[in-house]
Amino acid sequence: MTDKMCMVVSEGTFDKAYMPLIMGTTAASMGTEVHVFYTFFGTKLLKKTAKPKLPGMFRLFTGMFLKRMKKVGILSHDEMVKQAMDMGVSFYACSTTMGLMGIQESDLKPGVKVLGAAAFLKMAGESKTTLFIG
Amino acid sequence: MQKDATLDARGLMCPMPIVQLAKKVKELNSGQVLELLADDVGAKEDVPAWCSRTGHQLVGTEENGKLLKFYIKMK
Repeated sequence: MTDKMCMVVSEGTFDKAYMPLIMGTTAASMGTEVHVFYTFFGTKLLKKTAKPKLPGMFRLFTGMFLKRMKKVGILSHDEMVKQAMDMGVSFYACSTTMGLMGIQESDLKPGVKVLGAAAFLKMAGESKTTLFIG
Repeated sequence: MQKDATLDARGLMCPMPIVQLAKKVKELNSGQVLELLADDVGAKEDVPAWCSRTGHQLVGTEENGKLLKFYIKMK
């Protein structure tokens, strides 16, 4: 049976946005089935318009940081999500949080599924590794 | 070392060399040897870990300053 790995992302800042993408694409590259569940402030990372910002800093610094990332060849957040999806990583938005934050299904990036806690916990129960990113 | 293909991952940072590597091996046949060039320091530990996890065999490594060379035989 294929190895399975789950991640929960509960924060929407820049660092919390990239960690599951890097871990997820790497795990998928190693032949692991990857499921990432976004809840609370993490959920907004799955919006089409998502532009995560560095924690505790002004947007300006994030802009400078992004330029630096581009220079060293790190993909943008949107490109990283697309790449992860291409490699078979599954992305899920928490249904309750969507209601709480007024996020519609049509606001989400294409390919994102909406899930409840029970469905995710079933997957987590079948996984060898579950990471909490929050 | 004898090789059937080369993947140049120089200038790419973690996790890109591993991601590119996973894509590249799909084009190769069992028994073929892939040469991977990388200069991300993380690759030194990542490539052997990837190999042990996926079952492809790391048959050789070379280090020349910042340049790392890995030779991977397809399972």
